[in-house]
Amino acid sequence: MTSDSQHPPTPPIKKGDQTLFQRVTIVWIVPLIAVVAVLAIAAQAYFDRGPLITVSFENASGIQPGTTELRYRDVTVGLVEDVSFADGLDRVLVAIRIDKDVAPYVDASSQFWVVRPQVTAQGVSGLNTVLSGVYIESLWDNTPDGVTYEFSGLPDAPLEKAGQDGLRITLRASGKATLTQNAPILYRGITVGRLGKTKIAQDGSAAEAEALIFKPHDRLISSATRFWDASGFSFSLGQNGAALDFSSLASLVSGGVTFETMVSGGEAVDPGDSFVVHPDESTARSSIFARDDSENLTISAVFDENVEGLATDAAVELNGLRIGRVSALNGLVDPEAFGDTQVRLIVTLSISPGRLGLAGKASTEAALDFLRQRVEQGLRARLTTASILTGGLKVELIDVPDASAAELETGDSGALYIPTTQSDIADVSATAQGVFERINALPVEEVMAQAINLMDNANTLITNEDLRNVPQTLNGLLGDARGLVTSDDVQTLPARLNDVVADLQDTLTRLNDAQTVERLTDAVDSATEAAEGVTTAVSGVPDLIERLNAVAAKAETVEIDRLANDLSALLTTTETLLASDAAAELPTKLNSALSELSAVLAQLREGGVVENATNALASASQAADTVAEAGRDLPDLIKQAQGVLARANSTLEGYEASNGLGRDARTALIEVQKAAKAVASLARAIERNPNSLLTGR
Amino acid sequence: MEVSGSVTTARDMGLVGCTRCYSVSSRGTAHCPRCGSALQSRDRLSLQKVWAWWLVGLMCYIPANLYPMLETRTLVSVQSDTIVGGAVDLARHGNWGVAAIILVASVLIPVVKFVIVAGLALGVWLGPKVPEGQRHFWYEIVEYIGRWSMIDVFVVAILSSLVQLQALASITPGRASLFFALSVIFTMLAAKSFDSRLIWDTGQSDIASNRRTPAVDVKGDLSA
Repeated sequence: MTSDSQHPPTPPIKKGDQTLFQRVTIVWIVPLIAVVAVLAIAAQAYFDRGPLITVSFENASGIQPGTTELRYRDVTVGLVEDVSFADGLDRVLVAIRIDKDVAPYVDASSQFWVVRPQVTAQGVSGLNTVLSGVYIESLWDNTPDGVTYEFSGLPDAPLEKAGQDGLRITLRASGKATLTQNAPILYRGITVGRLGKTKIAQDGSAAEAEALIFKPHDRLISSATRFWDASGFSFSLGQNGAALDFSSLASLVSGGVTFETMVSGGEAVDPGDSFVVHPDESTARSSIFARDDSENLTISAVFDENVEGLATDAAVELNGLRIGRVSALNGLVDPEAFGDTQVRLIVTLSISPGRLGLAGKASTEAALDFLRQRVEQGLRARLTTASILTGGLKVELIDVPDASAAELETGDSGALYIPTTQSDIADVSATAQGVFERINALPVEEVMAQAINLMDNANTLITNEDLRNVPQTLNGLLGDARGLVTSDDVQTLPARLNDVVADLQDTLTRLNDAQTVERLTDAVDSATEAAEGVTTAVSGVPDLIERLNAVAAKAETVEIDRLANDLSALLTTTETLLASDAAAELPTKLNSALSELSAVLAQLREGGVVENATNALASASQAADTVAEAGRDLPDLIKQAQGVLARANSTLEGYEASNGLGRDARTALIEVQKAAKAVASLARAIERNPNSLLTGR
Repeated sequence: MEVSGSVTTARDMGLVGCTRCYSVSSRGTAHCPRCGSALQSRDRLSLQKVWAWWLVGLMCYIPANLYPMLETRTLVSVQSDTIVGGAVDLARHGNWGVAAIILVASVLIPVVKFVIVAGLALGVWLGPKVPEGQRHFWYEIVEYIGRWSMIDVFVVAILSSLVQLQALASITPGRASLFFALSVIFTMLAAKSFDSRLIWDTGQSDIASNRRTPAVDVKGDLSA
């Protein structure tokens, strides 16, 4: 401001009329924009809002209103708005607001299921839902067919997943094959498909499962394709060593099915076709030439007998020709139909029409007609023995003459029942009984008793005291012999005999010289004396033997190891004895004495001195008798000694040959042992193979 | 600040104060001779601005309470709380103190601000029921505590920048935090827009805050 107060500054003149901006502040634009924005957003939200659909589930575990999302191909396309109960509280209704752009696709073909974390043998799925909570996965086709508002949710994820189209087939487990839910279908180790939910087939004869072969791989499947169970492992021991076979560790744990197209020329497969899963690869391969189970005619038979021995895969025969197999066995209790509560055997027969040899096309219809006709003519099913040894049974279709009228009946569930007749199992038991009787009739016990007897005898023989005492007795015998030979009496015996003979000779000489009766008498007396001397000598023999016995008794106490020395000494002594001249001369002298005696007697006869001669002769006779007596004893003695010597000699030979009696004894014992062993092995052989008693081998 | 009923305003004395440098000029001066800013004895559009900001502030305050303020994601759960819901939750868990702080800072203070600002504007508009001095006192309170209303937004900002442990735990600001911040900003602007000089005019008979006074009304004495 200036200080010039004379001219006050011209005050600013403002127009009377004010523009809108001067009267209204521009700030009002802000709430205006806010209102417009809110309205715009609200309108957009309203018009963009998709339809509200309702999906019913068994339960709503984990589903939270306002949080749980609806996803399609893992993209969120909706949100759960409300969870409520259906009428009757048996279902849970989940109201889902779906996005407007996907709404046209949510048509009647849509499927909804809740994705939850799952830990199975196939692995862990839905792990992300552990943290984020569950979500609802949906699946629909790619053609918009208009919105449907009411859906029923699936309890489990369906076989197809978004982006995984493929060929849908049905797999039936055959025999021991197992189907595991969600198990992979492998082809050369690669997962090309997946098994769905397993269930029991409608007729209860097998387990079956839907399976999906993913898109590029579905061309691997043809009608010549065979599936088999790849789970588990097989172990075989053969010429090539041990073989452990399993497809993959994963399928070992989780189960799995694999397949191969065995032969070329298969036809294309339509969705929904059924395949059999074989227990293993070899069965699958061998089945290629057999007709498929699904083309078989399935009929059932109810047997009153509930006997053991029939098993699945047992043969079904018609006139001895195998036409099928037993596919299932079950018990049946039906008080209404049979009037009692007895358990009956219901057998499902799978009959291959091709094996019936019907003219024309081997269809199940033709086979059924054929069987129907034959049943009216009296064809019946019965159980009969397949193998006497194993007791296995088979089902036989036979013509029963004069059979009561019957026909193929159709049961409640559409199953066909073939009438049955009395089974042929009695033959089995009879045969078995006969076999057992024959076995019973075998004299097994007698044979055993004899064998035991034999062994007892052998035992007795071996343990016999006598046998054991043989070496001792031998020992004693040798001792006796030694004592005998070395005894003074025997030693002096030749000398004394010598003296006797010399005396006789002297007497005879004198008789010759004197030629007198006296001298003869003297001679005869001397002879008598000599004879008496001999008698005395001989009478000492028993005493000698007693002494020998004592020696023997003493020798018995002698130890075996000294035996050899003793025997050596004995040998030496014997040699000495034999080498002595006296012993050598003994016979000669006796001889000459006798011849001289004879000459004297002849001279006496010629001499004519009768009485003296008679006396002398009597004396001589006496002497001769005495000598003869002595001579009679002597040979025995000598024979005894000779026997002893011979035995000693043979013993000595044995000694020299094998260095000792012990070895002989051992050899003898070894022989005895061998005999015992032979007996033992005989006993074992009999035990092992009783037949050998019968067959002799 | 008790003031007697009759107050002589600068306007009565034919003066106008510069709101920027506080120098006093004679009425009618267009620009402040010291700092050059435009001079206005009374802001004619003040009440309009107040109501406009007040309205948009209130509009923002509604979603600020309806939407979640914080989204807490932990390994197992996602929790999103509105302002009141969070406070109630805390109170239920026994944290009465924290709950009280939240309630005071996020509910009581904004609501009191809305009420005071509206009351001040109404008082100028319809005539006062409360003495001028008291009204000015409330105005100063609003001015003072306005900035503290942002404490909630700061807490959210700090928490969400600190707690980012990937999957384990993370805190993200909810939509309400944006609206709450906007609401605070708009109420601050509303308080700022209020020309407090109007308070003192209402005591006089000729007051008409939005009634234009002739520019040539005051002459003469221009001493500052």
